[in-house]
Amino acid sequence: MSYIITPDIVRYACTCGLLKPISNLYFCRYCTQLRCSFCVCHEVDTNFCGKCSENIPSSEARVKKNRCGNCYICPCCEQELSTRIASTKTLSDTEDTKTTPKKMYYLSCQFCRWSSRDVGIPDQSTVTGGWPERENVHANQLQELVDMYKAIVLAQKQQQEKDKKKQRGKYLSYTDRTGVTAAALRKRIGLPAELTHPLLRSKPKEPEPAVAKTEVEKLPIELFTEPINLMDITTVDQRLLQPEAQPTTVDKLFPVHKQLSIKRTLRCKSCEHNVSKPEYNPSSVKFKIQLFAYYHIPEVRIVTVEPLRAGQSCELILKFTNPSQHQTTITILELNLEQQEVEEAEVAPSFDNMENLSLQEKQQMSLPSMLSQPSSLMSMSTRSPTITVKPRKISENVNCDVDVPSSTFILPPRDDAAEYDDSGDTHNIQDDTKLVKWRKSNKAYVKLNVTPKEDLGLNSDVVCGFTMQHVYTNTITGQMDKKEPQKYDHKVKVFLHLGKLVGSE
Amino acid sequence: MKVKIKLDCIMPVFETLISDKLTVVLDIGAAFTKFGFTGEFAPRAIFRTEVRCKRKNQMRRIWDFESVDDLYDLLVEFIYNIYFKFALLSPKDRPIVVVESLLCPTLFRETLAKVLFSHYEISMMFTLPSHLVSLSSLAIETAMVVDVGYKEAVIIPICHGIPLIEAWQALPIGGEAIHNNLRRLLDSNNTGIHNLPDSIIEDIKIRCCFVTEKSRAEQLASSKSDISVCPEVKYPVEGTQSILVSGKVREKAFEILYEEDNDHLCLSTSILDALLQTNMDLRYKLAENILLIGGTTMAPGFKARLKEELEKQLTFDRYKKLNIKTFAFHVPPCKENYAAWLGGAIYGATELLNMKAVTKEFYFKENRLPDWANLKDNIRNI
Repeated sequence: MSYIITPDIVRYACTCGLLKPISNLYFCRYCTQLRCSFCVCHEVDTNFCGKCSENIPSSEARVKKNRCGNCYICPCCEQELSTRIASTKTLSDTEDTKTTPKKMYYLSCQFCRWSSRDVGIPDQSTVTGGWPERENVHANQLQELVDMYKAIVLAQKQQQEKDKKKQRGKYLSYTDRTGVTAAALRKRIGLPAELTHPLLRSKPKEPEPAVAKTEVEKLPIELFTEPINLMDITTVDQRLLQPEAQPTTVDKLFPVHKQLSIKRTLRCKSCEHNVSKPEYNPSSVKFKIQLFAYYHIPEVRIVTVEPLRAGQSCELILKFTNPSQHQTTITILELNLEQQEVEEAEVAPSFDNMENLSLQEKQQMSLPSMLSQPSSLMSMSTRSPTITVKPRKISENVNCDVDVPSSTFILPPRDDAAEYDDSGDTHNIQDDTKLVKWRKSNKAYVKLNVTPKEDLGLNSDVVCGFTMQHVYTNTITGQMDKKEPQKYDHKVKVFLHLGKLVGSE
Repeated sequence: MKVKIKLDCIMPVFETLISDKLTVVLDIGAAFTKFGFTGEFAPRAIFRTEVRCKRKNQMRRIWDFESVDDLYDLLVEFIYNIYFKFALLSPKDRPIVVVESLLCPTLFRETLAKVLFSHYEISMMFTLPSHLVSLSSLAIETAMVVDVGYKEAVIIPICHGIPLIEAWQALPIGGEAIHNNLRRLLDSNNTGIHNLPDSIIEDIKIRCCFVTEKSRAEQLASSKSDISVCPEVKYPVEGTQSILVSGKVREKAFEILYEEDNDHLCLSTSILDALLQTNMDLRYKLAENILLIGGTTMAPGFKARLKEELEKQLTFDRYKKLNIKTFAFHVPPCKENYAAWLGGAIYGATELLNMKAVTKEFYFKENRLPDWANLKDNIRNI
């Protein structure tokens, strides 16, 4: 498992040209293309608080400034604060022994021992709160200012529009031609004669300009004589955690509401289908839609590599695993970065056309059904078209040749029950024994010969690559008349980091 | 059941608030980025302008980019973090307000626009000059705006709402210069501890150092000083060790701002130089309307010292002809480090956003952002 995290030994080239391990890739079944986090559209699905695992509707999150109403983090170390019950007993009435001790709560940090009592926040009688919130002292003044600016700009805009209208209507008005003025007309209808524009009458109020002071804040004299206690002065991060107040001393640190987290939906940019959609429940780690490449593209792992020597052929054994429910045939093709790049650039526009065509066809085909019920396709077409970014050039320094085998091999479908099957491998597959060394259920061990380039220096990283073509079986039953799954030849460029070059014997 | 009823009562309230859309305001500084929404009076978050580089697994500053492509990738990652960690919004088809310096490199702003328009598919981008918009919270139109940030100090006078770009002054003295100065001072005092990370240097600067008075600074600079230096501070490093930050270091860290370089330029002279570049009739007004923005100006004693320095410079022949007697400073209704951001938030809250912003259609037609330096956008003046 460890290889899934780091380092990335086996990397696949995404359609956008970035190299990623298979665990970081998605596979859009509708475009039959690899996608990665860089080339999909990210969208916010749900907001939730990471501490109390509560879902917060986006409207509520907006009101609460993307913060959880009940959970706080420590202003000192940014860890989560926990609510503690105060141990002090109410000693107000010593005579009345039956008084139930009133529970008081305070916030405390388990990590740095900060507590809400340190800064003089009184203990609260309820668990959830009523913790004092700090207000921006300038809020009223600034709100007034913003309202005035809004009015001024609005007046400007309306004036502009009015001017435009006036110019247009100058010679087109019938009243001017007939001699009946607007004022006369108004009189006849029975409206008050003069009606000035409301904006001309009440000009927006101009804000009061601030006045500069010649006096500036002085450096406190104590700084020259009094030793400072570092523990009392806040760090940059502590200050910036509260951007409004930015307290400079520790006694002004107030608990901060915890920032909410989100679950994301990932959408393929070219076909607008989701490639990943999480479940609504924040504590669930499952997905509603998960088109991970890991479930569709054969996985390649390195089993063994012979010591790599410059210019000498050495043996490389790879394991291919078929994750899908359908049998696939794998062909290893030569990797030609330069040529493929050109091809891709040329193919890209025509490919787009093809996609568009197929989409149109699809729509035409589904038209009768769409008339009867509003399809999701309709709503999809209202979305603004996405901008396609040209795939970038693959930046990998391949310095090792792969002897491309002439034959292909077959991978049987994944069978979860196969692990418990002791009957052994009963596949009647005719393998090229030079290529396939051994196979078990949906896995095959394949031998390749690789030759690092002659001019490689000692200890340089050896990277080889090949194009893996596999048969992908598309099981989407969206296509109207084609009920049986369709088969595609899908090509993926795979890059292997084989390790360091060793010297000759 | 009870809960359900309660929720139903609350929901309509939220519904009405949804109607006005949230618009992100960004001020990407050299060291810190300010992020928030229009119509609010403080940024939601202020964080370092850096992203984690996956290849090397270490933080990388955005401004230390190697090439355009590198910057593009860094910005994609950075904007992603902003939207999905702080804003919790999908950037697609939403407007954005970006506050930037008038001296922002074209390469950077074009790449940012490319990232926003083609990668994140935003609908509109509204770029605002930081010096100009920071005046909006004060409701004044004429002021000398001094922005002392991390990389540089940029001074641009604003007259009647128009930045006088011909009078701009900039010096590479800001947070970074102070860090380098402090590092040098600490190294000479403490043997054994070298190569302190920037974060520790910054922390020492913030927590221990201050801008001292002019008279004391002169005494400290001379070889024989008879003043008692301020108390030293033991700054703990790596748990067991500690650095001795002597009183002299604490007072001298910020002195780099006023040490004249080979061209006899420092912070105070460049402000006066900017004044010299402006029209004679404006000088009085500008000198009496100085606005300090940028994180470095928040250092204790910064303003008092700047005033002292400005007054001293006036006595020299160089600036005699200015004939200025007094300097007056504005106190913005916010912290200085997000003063420019606040201006952006105020501008973005008005209808100007829809009137002046660069739309997606315009961007993809022209494939560039309008810029004051581009003659195509300034055709009226020719």
